[in-house]
Amino acid sequence: MQFQDYYATLGVERDATLDQIKRAFRKLARRYHPDVSKEADAEARFKEVAEAYKALKDPERRAAYDELARDKRNGQKFEPPPDWDSGFAFSGRGADAAGGADFSDFFSSLFRNERTRRRGPGNGPHGAPFEAGFAAPGEDRHARIDIDLEDAYRGAQRSITLRVPAAGPDGRPILQEKQLEIRIPKGIRSGQHLRLAGQGGEGSGGEPAGDLYLEVSLKPHPRFRVEGADVTLDLPVAPWEAALGADVTVPTPEGPVQLSIPAGSAPGRKLRLRGRGLPGTPPGEMYVVLDVGLPASDTPAKKAAYADLARAFPDYAPRGAMEA
Amino acid sequence: MGQIVGYVMSAVVVDGDCAFSLAELCRASGLERTQIVELVAHGVLDPQGTAPDNWTFGGPALRTARAAGRLMRDLELDAAGVAMALDLIQEIAALRRQLRRGGAH
Repeated sequence: MQFQDYYATLGVERDATLDQIKRAFRKLARRYHPDVSKEADAEARFKEVAEAYKALKDPERRAAYDELARDKRNGQKFEPPPDWDSGFAFSGRGADAAGGADFSDFFSSLFRNERTRRRGPGNGPHGAPFEAGFAAPGEDRHARIDIDLEDAYRGAQRSITLRVPAAGPDGRPILQEKQLEIRIPKGIRSGQHLRLAGQGGEGSGGEPAGDLYLEVSLKPHPRFRVEGADVTLDLPVAPWEAALGADVTVPTPEGPVQLSIPAGSAPGRKLRLRGRGLPGTPPGEMYVVLDVGLPASDTPAKKAAYADLARAFPDYAPRGAMEA
Repeated sequence: MGQIVGYVMSAVVVDGDCAFSLAELCRASGLERTQIVELVAHGVLDPQGTAPDNWTFGGPALRTARAAGRLMRDLELDAAGVAMALDLIQEIAALRRQLRRGGAH
């Protein structure tokens, strides 16, 4: 486990006031929030920032952290002494537990002895304290799943491993791994949720378990762009194919198909392969955008061919519209 | 301490055919009833039905409600702030799509 310098993460001094810490967090949170930011590592950065803030905004946690952080450098190897935090009375933010699984091992080990308020099964993140005899359905849980475009076309069977909270031997919550084999229906789109009935938190008092929701994200594909149910491919073509028309083989996520390029196609022309987008009712469309290449004129014969072309088009005025 | 469920479960897509009552959306999104009512008041969510007790939300409302919940929690936004942020996020996404299309040729 590596020591994490929460002050450095937030870009504040060690003696920063709570206000300064809050301001620094808010600014970074807006910048890296995964729903807002398009920066590549936004999610990871946001988690770091949120974790640092969670540790430093609470005076008790901050004091405990400062005690331990003395003489430690960021990234240094680190093992917390056993029960080092027993002298601190944490107020236990049960409400944060929903995101608890996202915190680093460093954070979890640092604050593992916090007195966690027992939450009644079935309570949402803001649940009320557990009461004896309380009967409630299990809470719904969420996770994310990345899917290949090809799997979205065909449907897929995937094995997923979840870390779910469970009661440890001493009654404290621990994270337990749970493996599920799931069948993903074809036609799934980015941002859609999948529901696995009964795979959420366990119910109490004979009430049913909650559901597990998986938010789907399609992995970026090197060749195809996906927008909703529509799939777009940029297809390189030769100038003569665009000018004279051609039958070419085009890759689609379902395999190659034949496509007729109409004669006289301008660069950027968008051709539609009807219904070859993501499956569904109705299915999405697949678009092929023509990307006309210009072969290099690196031999005398090729130069001559371009010269012939120029002679054959004496009226062609590429900048005609610019001439006043 | 892994636990393996020894059968294959079929996942159901939460799409337009799927419907949530207010209570179901609260449960599925982890939001409080009052938060959802506020999001409706600001037009972030647009249920069918006239009163909270007979509201019906479509499947995609879950995604919106989850995103709204994250923004409220992580950025300390209120419903009006969330409404504006989500509008702007959508607009930026549309512009990015246009940009990508424009950049293709």
